[in-house]
Amino acid sequence: MSYVCLWSPSWPTGADFPADLVAGLLGVAPRVAVGERGLIWGDARGLHGGQLAEEMRRVASDYGFDDTHAGVAMTPVAAEVAATQGTTPLVVIKPGQDRAFIAPYPLHVLSPDERLAPMLEGLGIETCGALAALDAEAIEVRLGADGVRLWQRARADDARWLFRIPPRALPQASLEWVEYGLKDPERMLFVINSLAGTVCTALVARGERAREMALVFALGNRTQRTHVIRSSRPSAEQKRWMRLVREALDTITLPDAVMGITLRVESVTGNDGAQGDLFDRGFASAPAVEDAIIQLTDDQGDVVVTPESSEHPLVEERTTWKRRETGGHPTSNPPTLQPSNPPALNLTLQLLPTPKTVTVDTEPRRDHEVPVRYLDNNEWHDIVEAAGPDRVSGGHWAASYSREYFRCVREDGMMVWLFRGGAQQTTDWFLHGWWD
Amino acid sequence: MSTSIAALRALIEQRFPDATPLTGGSHITEQVATGIGALDRALPNGGLPRERLSVWAPQGGATAILRAACHSVVANGERSAWIDGDNTIAGTFWTRDEGGLYLIRPKSRLHALRAADELLRSGGFSLLVLAGSEPQGTETVRLTRAAREGGSALVSIGTSASMASLRLTSRLLRYRWRRTPFGDPAEAQEATVRVDVKAIGWSAHTVFPIPVTYHELRLSLESELADRRGLPR
Repeated sequence: MSYVCLWSPSWPTGADFPADLVAGLLGVAPRVAVGERGLIWGDARGLHGGQLAEEMRRVASDYGFDDTHAGVAMTPVAAEVAATQGTTPLVVIKPGQDRAFIAPYPLHVLSPDERLAPMLEGLGIETCGALAALDAEAIEVRLGADGVRLWQRARADDARWLFRIPPRALPQASLEWVEYGLKDPERMLFVINSLAGTVCTALVARGERAREMALVFALGNRTQRTHVIRSSRPSAEQKRWMRLVREALDTITLPDAVMGITLRVESVTGNDGAQGDLFDRGFASAPAVEDAIIQLTDDQGDVVVTPESSEHPLVEERTTWKRRETGGHPTSNPPTLQPSNPPALNLTLQLLPTPKTVTVDTEPRRDHEVPVRYLDNNEWHDIVEAAGPDRVSGGHWAASYSREYFRCVREDGMMVWLFRGGAQQTTDWFLHGWWD
Repeated sequence: MSTSIAALRALIEQRFPDATPLTGGSHITEQVATGIGALDRALPNGGLPRERLSVWAPQGGATAILRAACHSVVANGERSAWIDGDNTIAGTFWTRDEGGLYLIRPKSRLHALRAADELLRSGGFSLLVLAGSEPQGTETVRLTRAAREGGSALVSIGTSASMASLRLTSRLLRYRWRRTPFGDPAEAQEATVRVDVKAIGWSAHTVFPIPVTYHELRLSLESELADRRGLPR
């Protein structure tokens, strides 16, 4: 039996409904819901419906309601009809008999819509059984969606969700004291370590990992300070969270002594992980690498990065560095190497974070000047070959720039990237990078 | 006599593992092949030594060769890491989604060294390149120990060769140019590099070509405006 419906013609409805009665009913039923028209629903899933109904009636009787009726059925609609229309105080409908039970009752027991009721009367449909016997398509064509829903209830097909699943409370732990206030971070750490142990044990037991935890300080001035601590990787490890807490405490300034601390989990994730490849040579060390990357990210921020390049004309403006998502597995399908074709062996441009001003001597070459040597760190470098200029200009609607780039090979073989110009039409020379 | 020398050698290898030669000793270290045949033939035992520090003098193609070595490691199903201590890696030339190749851009030299220590000790990286943040003194000792613990080949791009088992220098000898109709250099297509390899009891060199790669040069965002206008003279 799934549902127990309790009803009394004498108890008040709406705001006057006795809340104490519901509290009392919760002592015998795992879940209780107050529905429309003064109906009280008890969740009998997994329980003996008849016994639960008797106990609920007894509780109601203790509260002074001696004329209660209870219906027990697999569907809410049958339980409701049994409670409100039954001739005995308790009606238990056997499983599979719900539709047959409500069939002889008049249609008004299903509380049809005001618009539908006269139409059904006009059609000569008076009982639930008569409506249930009709074809669904005929109901839909003549009575619309509301008619179909009523037809379903007449067939004891009731999908009402009376008892919502309550959200599972996330683990938390707290400790308060009143006789003194804590100001020493080490003593606070001692307390937090204990709380973290409790919380992390609860997480492990639930098979979850915390992504965020909140550290709430109850202060002597009767205020609270909350600090949210995030981990780069969801974790249920006490050691990891304590390290993050220590780092957080280094930056926290509290206006008063601490009288209580709460550590609560703010968000969690499951223990699912990436599928590994047993034949992968890096498989065994993947967790260690992931841990190291996470540790690095926690310590230094987003330093493990991957580039995202645009097509900006200025090469230094093209790249934004994004945090690389963690995942310790090496490439699952490594490309095959050809011995005669070494992979990615190329001299590529190395960029200075900021172009460096240099002194350049030039000489004319047809219609332009090319650099022949430049001074950098008090040392002159002779240029033996210079290709260019490559002229880049733009930004005319914002900060304009105009540059002439030269690729120059020094006497020691290094190829450098020099440009003249920059913002606001300057004619200074800059060293922007080199090929290496 | 020979027994005492062998015992002494064993004692030295045990107590000062970094001081033992890469070749000729009783213990031959494992190698990480760079994937460049000419270079691997010049390296003792055919690759960069694991559990050891190698120092490569900056420039002269060091970045290109070591990056190729990192790719080769990844192609073999292992991991490599590149710590860009001076943030000179241009994103345009860095391959995205390279599963086993990690790029770390630390905020300072100290952060770079810490990152190297952390990654080496994890034991998950076959090759770690530390560029732009050269360790000194005790920092070198610490990183060398971390490399030994993690079984990684550590390559520092720098000039300080103390504690290094392998010292490499490279120099770009000449370029092959594509020229303009006027005979001016237009684009360097290939450079020839010479790599010198030195270790205890080992000295070798090799010469091989390296292609030169350029980024796509976009001249202007505003296509309606005149470009190639040059600068005021």
